[in-house]
This record gives sequence, C-alpha cells and structure tokens, in this order.
Amino acid sequence: MSTQETYKTKVKELLSSGKVKMVIGYKAGTTADRRRPHFMRTPEEVDQLVLDSACITNLSGYLLSEGLLSDGKEIAVFLKPDGIRSINILAAEAQLQSNQVVVLGFDINGSEISALQGERASDFQALTSSSNEARLHKQQHPESARLEQMTPAERFAYWEDAFSRCIKCYACRQACPMCYCRRCIVDNNQPQWVNTSSHTLGNFEWNIVRAFHLAGRCVECGNCGRACPVNIPLGLLNMKMTDEVLQSFNHYPGVSETQEPVLASFKKNDSETFIL
Amino acid sequence: MTRILSSDKLDNCVARWRKAGNKVFGPVKKETTSSYAAVESAAEFDLGLILPDRSVKELFFPQTEPMMRYSIKKQAIDTEDFQPPIEKRIIFGVRPCDASGLAIDDPLFGWDYKDDFWFKRRNNSVIITIACTKSDDFCMCTSLKLAPDSTKGADVMLRPLQNGKGWQVEELTDRGREAVKEIADLLQDSAEPTAPNAMVPEKFNLDACVAWLRNPENFESSFWKEISMRCIGCGSCTFLCPTCHCFDFQDEGDTYNGIRRKNWDSCSFALFTMHTSGHNPRSTQSARWRQRIMHKFNYFPGKFNVNSCSGCGRCSRQCPVDMGITETLQAISTLQP
Amino acid sequence: MSEPFEPKIVAFVCTYCTYAGADLAGTSRLKYAPNVRIIRLPCTGRISPMFILKALQKGADGVLVSGCHPGDCHFNHGNYHARRRWTVFRSLLEFTGIPQDRVKFSWISAAEGSKFAELINSVTEDFRKLGPFDQYKKLIKETETAATF
Repeated sequence: MSTQETYKTKVKELLSSGKVKMVIGYKAGTTADRRRPHFMRTPEEVDQLVLDSACITNLSGYLLSEGLLSDGKEIAVFLKPDGIRSINILAAEAQLQSNQVVVLGFDINGSEISALQGERASDFQALTSSSNEARLHKQQHPESARLEQMTPAERFAYWEDAFSRCIKCYACRQACPMCYCRRCIVDNNQPQWVNTSSHTLGNFEWNIVRAFHLAGRCVECGNCGRACPVNIPLGLLNMKMTDEVLQSFNHYPGVSETQEPVLASFKKNDSETFIL
Repeated sequence: MTRILSSDKLDNCVARWRKAGNKVFGPVKKETTSSYAAVESAAEFDLGLILPDRSVKELFFPQTEPMMRYSIKKQAIDTEDFQPPIEKRIIFGVRPCDASGLAIDDPLFGWDYKDDFWFKRRNNSVIITIACTKSDDFCMCTSLKLAPDSTKGADVMLRPLQNGKGWQVEELTDRGREAVKEIADLLQDSAEPTAPNAMVPEKFNLDACVAWLRNPENFESSFWKEISMRCIGCGSCTFLCPTCHCFDFQDEGDTYNGIRRKNWDSCSFALFTMHTSGHNPRSTQSARWRQRIMHKFNYFPGKFNVNSCSGCGRCSRQCPVDMGITETLQAISTLQP
Repeated sequence: MSEPFEPKIVAFVCTYCTYAGADLAGTSRLKYAPNVRIIRLPCTGRISPMFILKALQKGADGVLVSGCHPGDCHFNHGNYHARRRWTVFRSLLEFTGIPQDRVKFSWISAAEGSKFAELINSVTEDFRKLGPFDQYKKLIKETETAATF
C-alpha cells in the first residue's frame, strides 16, 4: 500500500475511534501542482486526502487557530520534519501542549514520500537531532553566499530593491507558524514602532523586525517565502538568523520541547567580542 | 481593411509618446515579479505575460501615498497638501480585466467626495488594452460577464493579429483617439485577420451566486465557516485585486509634525474593524471572508450596479493556501438560494 | 570650505551604570563631544532592537547602546539577555546592508566616567569618518515627498 493509502486508513481510524476531533492534512488544489490544506472531521472527508511530494506547506500554524485546542481534545496533523520542530517550539513557548497533537509524520525525498514513525513530537527526537547535525554541515545557499561577498552598500541596494516591492500584505507573517501573536508589534500603534506604510523605509523596518523576531525560532519551512506575492527572498534572512544562532550559541531551533528559547536564555560566557 | 499597429513599430510609438511628454507604462517582468511599470523603450515590455503579478490599480491608487504635511504650532496648525503627479501617461498592454477594474472603481472614488488622487491620474492616463489570446487556470472574466476582449475601462483596444506581428487598433474614447493620433503615421492598413480570443471557460453561475448572497438567511450560513477555514488572514488577495480599494489614513511623524498618508488596507486583517474598546464586529476570519465576497457581489452592486470583480483571478493565483473568489463562488452556485 | 560633518548619535543607556557613568563624567567636568543624545532606560534588557531602528529612521547617523558590565546588572541578568539579542541583531543588520559600524555597543559602569567621555569622543570620531548614512537617509527622504507616479 502507498504511504497515502496507509495514512488514509490510519486517519479514518483516528476519527472514527474518536481519538482525535480533527485531522489537518492536504487535498488537491486548483492546479495539478497545488495542494491545499484539508480539515477532516468525519471519515468521509478522508477520501479527499492527498499526500505526495507536493505537500510542502507547514500546517502546524493551524493548530493555534483561535479556540481550536482549548477544549483539551486531540488533533492530528500531517507534518514534515520541519513541522515537527515547529510543534516542539510552540510547546516550548507554551502555545500548545504537545500531548494534544498527534503527529502524522512524513518526509519528501525528490518525488517520493515516506512515512515517519512516531505519534508525539517527542518521538522524533532522533530525527530532529540528525537534522541539527545536517544543518551544521549544510552548504550555504548560493544567494546568501553571493550577498555576503558584497559590500554593505551593495547589500543595502539589494534589499532596498527587494523591500521596495513589499506591499505589507503580511502574508509572510500569517503563513508563519511562529507568528502567533494575537497582536503583532506592527499592529501596535501606541507607540507605532514600525511604520505601517509600505514605503521602502517602512518595509525595511518591517522585514528586519520580522526576521529578528524569528531568530532562533524559525524552522526554515519556507512558508513565508512561498506566501510572498511579490517574491521577496525572505528565506535568506531567516537562514542568516539560523546560521547566527547555530554559530554563536550552538542552538538549532526545535530539537525538543525542553530546549530553551535561545533569546530568552543566556550563558555567562557568551561571546562578546564586539562590545567596547 | 482595418488599421493595424505592427509589433516592430511599437518602439517608435513609445519614443513618439515619450517625446510628446507622456510617461509610458506597460507590463514589465523583472527577475522575481511582474507589474505595470514605467519604460523607456518597447524592449522593456513583456507582452507575452498572461497578466502581470500586480494589477494596474497601483498606478492610480498607490500602496502608500502622502496626502498632507501638518505641523502643530502654539497658535495654529499649518498644513500643506501633496498633489498627485499631473504628467500625461500612456499605459500600454493593460489586460481587459485590469482595465475593467479601473472602470469598476470610478464610481466608488467619485460618488460623493471626488477623490483627486484617483481622478487626476485617471484623467491624465490613456489605457491601451490588448485583448487576451492566452489564459490560465485562474482566469475567470467570462464568469463575471466580461470577456478576454472587453473594452470596459479601455481608451484604445488592440486585438492581436493571427500572424502575431501586430495588433488591430480601435480607438474608444477621446483620450484614446488623441494618443493614436500621435502615432497615426506609424499605423498601416491591412486585411490580416485577428487571432481568436483566449478560451476562458465559465466557472460558476454568477446570477445563482448573487441570488444566494442576497438572501439574508445565508448571512449566518455555516458555509462561510467551512469555506474560509484555511484562510490565514493575510492581505495578498485584496492588495493584488484590481478592484479592492479600501484604504487607511495613517499619521506618520511625532506629536507636532508629520505626514498624513493614505495606505492600502484589507478587510482580511483582524485590525480592519477592531474598535478602540477591543471589540471586533468581524471577530473571525470567516466573517472577514464573508465581508469580502458580500461586498464584491452584493453590497457594491447594490450601490453602483456593477460587481466589484473583473475576473483576473489574482486572488486565487497568489493565495498562499489556494483559496479565492473562484472556489467560493463555485461552491455557492451549487447551493440552494 | 564646507563645515565638517557632525554626526547625530543616539545613545541608549541603562540608568544604573552607563547613565550614572555619564553623570560622573559630567560632575567630574570631563569634556566630551556634544553629538550624542542620551536616552535613559531601566536596563539594557529593556533596549529593544526596534529602538535602534527607530533612531536610524529618525535620522541618526550612528547608535550607541551601553549598559552595566556582565555580572553588574541591577536586575542580575538583563545585560546577558541583551548581549544575545545584540549578537543576533548585529548580524541581521550587517546582512541587510546596515553596516555594523553604525551601531556600537559598550559596557560602562557608574565608576567609569572617564571611559564614558573617551568612548563618546572616539565613537563620534568613528561616525564622523563614516559620514552621513546616505542610503538610509534617501529612504527617509522618499517618505517625505509626493508620489512619483
């Protein structure tokens, strides 16, 4: 049986036994290469479930939809390794209890998918640790490498061009599982820290603040970059932040739910070569 | 015999228009995104795009526009108005859906207060539309009773020739005639037939949808919750939409000096209707999505007798979670009114 | 001849150490460059990176952030938290093309009045050498002019 069919059977069981009240997965989208999120509450709805290599969206953010988890019932969700790490971070940041989330794990290798064994996010510790190891040795994205070769003035010009396109639709924020604040800093206007206008200056501030707030929390799922309607390479900023927390604090976000958030903790001997 | 503009003369036209003091715009594809942008030569155009990622709306209603500078003095408040640019503009290669979007918004910006920022730009711009011979899975103009060769909102209509080497020219308004006059000697007579329009299948029955939307009982239907469950509440559909026109005023500056700006705003944002008290009359994403659909197909036509949608399909094409007007109306048209 | 460029510098300082250090510099009649505008906050832990961006947005040519030496924080570890944030934020600024030289960090205790005076003089000189932050100022200017299309 294919992974998709195996999971269909499993999801039907989960729903009909009443173990979970809802399963969040994927179904076919408008075009052949698109998948859209699918919310299943009855076994009948499971027939539409699709699980293949086009299922790339990190669905973990839906768990924080207002009121969804407040009744204490369990929800199952299809997650790739990055999504499983998101659950760890959300649990570490007290946004959900990981024992309310049934992980239906899968991974994509080229055009193939495989099932990942485990039920709770904590069952995937070996996987998240090996992904930590892999990230340490991952080659730098060519575009990041190109940017780092530039002078600051050239980099500024690069981002000025990219951010000048930003229309402040906040798709990056809304698509991000880690951007769960009920009221985002940019929506606070007493005082207005970040300009709401989408002129380049305001866009610079917004995108810097967004990337900073995700430092050490981003799992590099790519939801933000894919959501951006004007294709700003947001992932580069997030990757830079992950590089930095790895190098400076040996922190890989989402390894486990007991991991301390990197910017809410410290070591007395953290490096401070830049401080006068 | 009709008059045609051949593709190899287009650059001369652009030069001619520019020489006559016009700023020329058209579809331009950059590395990452496409939009209607200012050009210096026709070589910068990408006329092969089905339609640019960004709509032509932003050339008339920019995402952020300074309106007024203020400074609060001890005895008085000084203000100084910003004016929209008054240069003449030729916007070439606008898609019929984008041009229709402008015509749809005209009554909105002029029904009681006449919005100078919109109309000064409208009056100084010539919209040269090119009929579509290509479409994609998201195009839906025919479902909105428009067509790949709608002339709505256009000053000049160009119909591509079958041989792909030019366009048949049809002036529609005085502004259009003026613009064509400037290039009259570059046109030629020809009997070359025009290419067939793009085939855009009708995706939903608009009348059935409107009937359902107008039934007050359906306002509280559970349908809204179901259809919008995966909506993440970003503003990309509204900001890319050629007809969405909501804006917000923001004072940028300090207590005494600043600039009042008009910024795009979106009904998909929770903050859009948030009261100072913290109460939000549209407290859920489903209520916000319902508002967007109701506004486009019920409230707006109720006031201006035209649907606030031109069927460009950008909302679905760019939606991070593959939602959009098409899917919603397709679902509605299967429901009992 | 044109006037030499005088940088505008915003200094975010904690009230318990660096502000007291600045106070000591003053009461000791130490002279230092007048380019700096001091903003006093309870702790370096309270200095959000957004303050730094705001200072640049309001036209600062350089920013200085300063607080208690490690181990001396009035709130025990506010400065340790701040230090982590600065590390990450500096790297983000550098990556987006806002030169790290524009934003400086220091530890100055309440007893280091002379260090404060010397540091202000030396960073003022550094910022003067860098010149105005033209790229950023161009963006600020854009927000103050009418739409171009």
